[in-house]
Amino acid sequence: MRKLFSLRSPSRWFFFRADDRLLLILMGIIVGICSGLAALALSYSLETLLEFFHHYSQHWWVFILPAIGAALSSFFLNYVLKEGAGHGVPEVIYSVSRYGGLIRLRSSFSRLVSSCLTIGFGGSAGPEAPVVMSGAAIGSNIANFFYLNDRQRVTLVGCGAAGAIAAIFNAPIAGMIFTMEVILGEWSMVNIIPIAIASVAGAETSRLLVGNYIKFSHLTLNTNFIDMVACFGLAAVTAIVSILMTRMLRNMHHVSEKVKTKPWIRAAMGGCLVGLLGFQVPEVLGEGYHAIEAMVQGTFKAGLLVVAVAAFAKILATSLTLGWGGSGGIFAPCLVIGSFTGLAFHRLLVIVFPEIAWVNEGCFALLGMAGMISGILQAPLTGIFLIVEITGSSEVMLPLIAVSSISTTLCHYFEPASFYVKDLVEKGQLLRPGTDERVLTDLSVAELLEFDCVVIKKNMMFREFIEVVKSSKRNYYPVENEDGSFAGIVYFDEIRPYLFDTLMYDAIIIEQIVDDKVRVVNYTDDLSEVLKTMDNNGLYSMPVVSNNRFAGMISKATILDHYRKELKVQTT
Amino acid sequence: MDSQLFHIFRNTPLGRETLLQSIYFSKQTNASLNIYIPKFIKFLMYFDNDVVQVDLDESYLSSPDTALDRVKNLVESNGLSANFIEPKNFTASTLPDIPVNFDFMCSPRSISDLTSKIGLGHIGTRVRRIVQSAKFPVLITTPVYSEWNNITVFFGGSHNSIKALKLGIRLSRLTGKELFIFTQLDGKKREHYQEILEKEELQKEINLMVTKWNFYGSKSFEENLYNVPHDSLAIVGAYGHSVIKNIIFGSKMEKIQSTIQNNFLVVGPNYGQVS
Repeated sequence: MRKLFSLRSPSRWFFFRADDRLLLILMGIIVGICSGLAALALSYSLETLLEFFHHYSQHWWVFILPAIGAALSSFFLNYVLKEGAGHGVPEVIYSVSRYGGLIRLRSSFSRLVSSCLTIGFGGSAGPEAPVVMSGAAIGSNIANFFYLNDRQRVTLVGCGAAGAIAAIFNAPIAGMIFTMEVILGEWSMVNIIPIAIASVAGAETSRLLVGNYIKFSHLTLNTNFIDMVACFGLAAVTAIVSILMTRMLRNMHHVSEKVKTKPWIRAAMGGCLVGLLGFQVPEVLGEGYHAIEAMVQGTFKAGLLVVAVAAFAKILATSLTLGWGGSGGIFAPCLVIGSFTGLAFHRLLVIVFPEIAWVNEGCFALLGMAGMISGILQAPLTGIFLIVEITGSSEVMLPLIAVSSISTTLCHYFEPASFYVKDLVEKGQLLRPGTDERVLTDLSVAELLEFDCVVIKKNMMFREFIEVVKSSKRNYYPVENEDGSFAGIVYFDEIRPYLFDTLMYDAIIIEQIVDDKVRVVNYTDDLSEVLKTMDNNGLYSMPVVSNNRFAGMISKATILDHYRKELKVQTT
Repeated sequence: MDSQLFHIFRNTPLGRETLLQSIYFSKQTNASLNIYIPKFIKFLMYFDNDVVQVDLDESYLSSPDTALDRVKNLVESNGLSANFIEPKNFTASTLPDIPVNFDFMCSPRSISDLTSKIGLGHIGTRVRRIVQSAKFPVLITTPVYSEWNNITVFFGGSHNSIKALKLGIRLSRLTGKELFIFTQLDGKKREHYQEILEKEELQKEINLMVTKWNFYGSKSFEENLYNVPHDSLAIVGAYGHSVIKNIIFGSKMEKIQSTIQNNFLVVGPNYGQVS
């Protein structure tokens, strides 16, 4: 038994004890392969389902398919697996920021199945967030199995996310950067190496099983100065579309919440609307990669107005799918909407400036994708490297940097938090590494209690109290009522006037000098709130009261002392 | 420092009985009551190395309007006051995170499965997961309120049973109730168990606190279990094995809980661990 435990605790092995980087790299490879396989499984299932339903696309009843898919997906998530719905990525960020990357085992497959049902039946969503969730959950549970600590678990969660993105796009750098930029929110050497290796493992798994396929490798992307200037306009347009999409997704969620019915019925209603929308604009259905390919290759023949309408229709369809209870992510819809936006912008340029020889429209579709991803995720590097990798070329690097950076900046101005973290920021639950809140979250009031103060009774005479003061090192004294309930505090500073007047010793009882309006702390209070109260009221320590009984004192000095220790644990 | 007892309230007759058990335990051990009245059918408990999703059965949400008053009435009529837990953090909009920094948790045998199974000596899967992951011992109560007047620790020499014994000593000191030790000899000599305690430097405390150390060697374990006083709080160390492992390897804990119908305080493998 002990041997088995030892095998499951590799971090205790002599080889890894001094430095766990090699252990994390080994684990990263395992996690990268597993998450890569999960990503490929979803990708293959989606292809099969979409191809199967494609044969029925001419039937009148086809609009009902997204409704069936969304309903099944919602039913599966809410009733079979009993998992709260969501896009996946915010849950991963939440677990990393609050609970050291702890994710339920069921999350490693729940979103794969549910998003497959939603997207495979024609719902407008992407498979990337579900595979990120799945990969992250795989990483988290592998870390749990091997009894790794919080920091190591967070790294493996990142490995899972990176491996999944790397596998699904065959883009290892984008996988790594997406993880650092969006999921972890920090660039530390300890994390980068295992995550990079996991990315490689994920991408290699994909290459072994489906081949080293670069989607848009044959594109000519020779941009000139005038294209570069136009990129600034495109960045502004993608930023506007990103903001529109962020707000529409969130508002649609609030609208759907007002419909008081079972979640799966609500999801079916949203799916039905998507199906109806798909009658007019078929490009809004499913993940939409076929439309992207057509646009990037320049074979998308519809005019400017149709393309612009398609972009807005896709935003609406994605909001209806995800906001009403379908399962999936926004990554693929962002790419589709971005390419529509880029294409529309190119066509507008051609109409307004017909004499200029613009680069091909596929290039603008790619730049639009980068702008959209950078805007909505507020992750410019992810946008840049994803496009570089799926085109297999760095020729378009300069316009990519321009579009991504400007789009991110403009979006940040109107929407300070990205779509993924907006809810968390609003609830004060986004605790990025190295921040005060993050460090303090791992500490609790109970573990900082100080017990070395002397508790006195309310009916004690001042003379007796003087004796207590003589033997005490503290300058405050908690006071209890006869029944043991907390009555307040006596501060040494406030009794000084009576100390030198011996006549008062037998004239005063503690009840007369106790401060009974003192602010107290409960066991469940957040330490950041406690510190804020101390700062606002100029306090150095506060009594902790539980069920109306004095439990101990908590002081600023102790908080800061433990803060330092915890910071060390979290950063080394 | 006073200890904290966590209780999930179920607004049904069974829930009332379980709450009475918590109140009794709190009064005996001077623990503060922390009560969660669920507003959602599920919640998460983030432990150090595991996250447990507790899917409550529907009865936990029955008549929420009256739940708070009922709890207050019951608690206050017993001269206690309770702290009501309101979840601050949510993993998803309908999935609250419940704090886990308690010293004890009180639970019926099942919180997710059919309550009708309780009478058959069944411990639910969620309760098992909590026992396996929690740093606090779990008080698994009898279906009907019954007071316990003494404490029996099941000691078989394992690491977990030593932890259970230490907890028994602590509770005996806190409550002033008699402490008994139950040991099934399993072919070993008494000295073997006494040596284990000597190694743990517990012999002195055992001599001081334990009323009687009962060694059983002649009959089977199940038969000997009937010697445990019916009004005893049974403290058992559990490894938190899965059902499959229990079937293959067997488990003393399973035999105990399915044979006697006392209140149990189950000490899991992570009990007392420091983060």
